[in-house]
Amino acid sequence: MTDSNDLPNDSEGERVTDDAIRTLVRGALGTAEDPPDLTRGVQEKIRVRSRGKFYADGWSTTKHPPVTTYLVTSVLMLVAMGLIYALLHPLSGEPAPARPPEPVRVLPGP
Amino acid sequence: MKDSDESERRFIERLKERDERAFLELVALYQARVYKLVFRMLGEKHEAEDMAQEVFVQIFRAVDSFRGDSRLGTWVYRIAVNACKNRIKYLGRRRADAQEPYEEREAPAAARFATSSELSRPDHLVEGLQLERIVQISIAEMDADFREVLVLRDVEDLSYDEICEITGLPEGTVKSRLHRARAMLKAAVERKLGETIA
Repeated sequence: MTDSNDLPNDSEGERVTDDAIRTLVRGALGTAEDPPDLTRGVQEKIRVRSRGKFYADGWSTTKHPPVTTYLVTSVLMLVAMGLIYALLHPLSGEPAPARPPEPVRVLPGP
Repeated sequence: MKDSDESERRFIERLKERDERAFLELVALYQARVYKLVFRMLGEKHEAEDMAQEVFVQIFRAVDSFRGDSRLGTWVYRIAVNACKNRIKYLGRRRADAQEPYEEREAPAAARFATSSELSRPDHLVEGLQLERIVQISIAEMDADFREVLVLRDVEDLSYDEICEITGLPEGTVKSRLHRARAMLKAAVERKLGETIA
């Protein structure tokens, strides 16, 4: 649809009015709030709609790699392994002492 | 070919390959602009947040159809504007009377409308806020086609060429719509205010 017949006249009065309206509009709408972070919501929507094909692994696709999570998990695993070792070691006992082999006795022939 | 064009072309290739990290970069790059545009078009915070997310989902789904005829930013704007217009029309049909635009905006942010000299007196502050509110309501009542050009030109400060690319309209139509939109807004504000402006 082209309605170029209604193009505005560039008269001084209209220009001043347009400037005033523009100032009003800019004042009323120009101070939009700080935008929220949309990343998580967008990821979730894409994950759901692609039935898990995209952004299936939330961790690997976040903006910042979760270094702290990896570190804490590693430390917890090490502590768990240490505890298990400390618990099981006393139960394992000492290995049986190795006995030297008996000397070979050669039987006399018939 | 300029370096920026080449890097944008490579970036688009990554998007078309459904590179998840590339898409996150796109969200990070455009989310502020998209959210602000959507908020200005729809006038409601939660609606704007949901709509802005939808815009990026649409971009993700439609990136294969991007032929590179325009800048990526222009294409993103086009999707955002079209999504908003559809939403406005849908909301207009569903809850014509129930819409309360800008209901959650805080007074200090709204108060920035008036200039500092106008805000030097408390009565002027109240008048400024009242006028701002009237303008917001009048814009929210406006047809989506007019609201679109008004926001793109008078708030987003885009050039006529950019607006033509985004809306797909000829320049003459954009200019006449803008002229009509301003005239409609002026009339609506004056009617609500009970006095002439400018």
